Amino acid sequence: MLIELKGVHKTYDNGQPLHVLKGIDLEIEKGEFVSIMGASGSGKSTLLNILGILDNYDEGEYHLAGKLIKNLSERESATYRNQMIGFVFQSFNLIGFKTAVENVELPLFYQGVNRHRRHEAAMAYLEKMGLTGWASHYPNEMSGGQKQRVAIARALITHPEIILADEPTGALDSKTSVEVMELLTRLNREDGVTIIVVTHESGVANCADKIVHIKDGLIERIEDNRQHHSSMFGTDTIMK
Amino acid sequence: MRHRFDFDTLREIGDSLFRNKRRTLLTGFGIFWGLFMLLFLIGGGQGLKQMLSKNFEGFATNTMVMVSANTSMPYKGMKEGRYWSLTQRDVERLKALVPEFDVVAPIVSNWGQTAYYKGNTASPSIKGIAGDYHKVEAPIIKYGRMISDADVEQERKVCVVGKRIYNDLFPQGGDPCGEYIQVGSVFLQVIGVDYSTGNISINGSSADALLVPFSVVAKLYQRGDKVDLICVTGKPGVKMSQMEDKIRSIMSREHIFDPTDEQALLLLNTEQIFSIVDNLFRGVNFLIWLVGIGTLLAGAVGVSNIMMVTVRERTVEIGIRRAIGAVPRDILSQIIWESVTLTLAAGSAGIVFSVLILNVVEAIAKHQAVFQISFWTAILAALLLSVLGVLAGLAPALRAMKVKPVDAMRDE
Repeated sequence: MLIELKGVHKTYDNGQPLHVLKGIDLEIEKGEFVSIMGASGSGKSTLLNILGILDNYDEGEYHLAGKLIKNLSERESATYRNQMIGFVFQSFNLIGFKTAVENVELPLFYQGVNRHRRHEAAMAYLEKMGLTGWASHYPNEMSGGQKQRVAIARALITHPEIILADEPTGALDSKTSVEVMELLTRLNREDGVTIIVVTHESGVANCADKIVHIKDGLIERIEDNRQHHSSMFGTDTIMK
Repeated sequence: MRHRFDFDTLREIGDSLFRNKRRTLLTGFGIFWGLFMLLFLIGGGQGLKQMLSKNFEGFATNTMVMVSANTSMPYKGMKEGRYWSLTQRDVERLKALVPEFDVVAPIVSNWGQTAYYKGNTASPSIKGIAGDYHKVEAPIIKYGRMISDADVEQERKVCVVGKRIYNDLFPQGGDPCGEYIQVGSVFLQVIGVDYSTGNISINGSSADALLVPFSVVAKLYQRGDKVDLICVTGKPGVKMSQMEDKIRSIMSREHIFDPTDEQALLLLNTEQIFSIVDNLFRGVNFLIWLVGIGTLLAGAVGVSNIMMVTVRERTVEIGIRRAIGAVPRDILSQIIWESVTLTLAAGSAGIVFSVLILNVVEAIAKHQAVFQISFWTAILAALLLSVLGVLAGLAPALRAMKVKPVDAMRDE
């Protein structure tokens, strides 16, 4: 079992206590393609933050690849994030004053990998994303789809256990959204990368094999979607 | 494995500093100007001090000059306002009674004489001196030699001319030794030229002086055994200010005046003059450091302030870095390195600029004094800069460390 959540609770306390997660139990196997769906305010972003070791939780247990992730120091959590998790964000979150290849290299920089090997690895991943020609371009010279592919390359470069994608198509048009989702699907099918996508778009969620529906801080139901018939708009488009 | 300082760290620093060139430049200017001010003032103060010290050049620092004057107190039945005079016997007496003295040299002076040589004229102050006077005021002998003991004993009619007198009488230059110059009604043979130019000298500047054996002056101008002043220098380690009481008691016993009568015997202690100058420059130095360090600190505060703003602007970037694996220490060291790099670069420019300007100043001052700061001062300044850079980066770096990776997602 790659990811194991048992009775995870999370309460934000900004003046008034806000109970966001009310006991989440979730198991994800290696190589799965899972989407987490829910309306805004359902707690899906909080769940993603906890899965990505970006945030702490109050109760329960979270095991990632057999390691208990709880009350880690900043240093430990940074190291785990660096080694086990690749992030893909809605707003790409590339560093604007770095070129595509420098952005992809960055996680390896923090691992202390030497320059030459880092550059080679980054170029290999850019090639995989079909962006070899864009390696020395800055993010603001690229289209949204290209930027997201750079971000995916950056997420993959450390060979993480999971790719966590937070609304990866949120800032893209429908055509590019399809491309990005196809890319993620291919990574999952061909390379066996475990992918967790958080979204509120049913078309995006439909790409995954398993859909976790979250409502009011609880898992409403887990839908087996290996047939990809979940979206009422069919399998080929992503409704915007 | 981590926290190596390599080319990439440099690039990271360079990238973020060059992102907003104008702001970096303006921030750096504060440091640049602060360091320039500090070093320029230090160099300038040092140069001025040297130029002022030039006035004392060649003058023994441990010297006391005694001059007789009218008494101001009645003593042993004698009225106040009585005049007395130092004599050559006093010289012998002081030599015999005060072992702490190294040199006891009398001076007999005469002003208002005109010196002639082949149609050239000059107005020297005639200074009758003893053979050991050179230990009080060191001459710079350009030609010939100084007045010797033998000159004094044998009352030779010889003279050593000061620089200005030499220029007036011998405008064509050359070695004047052996020539005779006329002073009043007598002819004196030139035996030397003194090129010293110190302005603190006894009875007029040494450039205007005509040095003659005091026995000759005493005879020529009918002074008997009276002398105008007596210069004494202390042996090494002797404090002249502590010798005053002893001198007063010896002289008052001999010339019968109240030993507490400070007006009757004027004692001029060069140690005091030097210490006044020293104190003056200690004050000036204090001001220099105050102003210099103050300006520099203002610059550092500016750097800290701007870095603070930068960190706020870079919240997302820092969040991204944290999310993809930067530990807090990575962020801390990056911000501090940025601060140190900016401070050092701007400060080095300040060092270079101040060295250049001080060179120009030195050239303008015709190299009369060393205005240039020493190599070690520059090194010290660079070290100081590094410390300032770290301190300036500390507060912004601590703030940057507090950025959570989730901030990258919130701050959109």
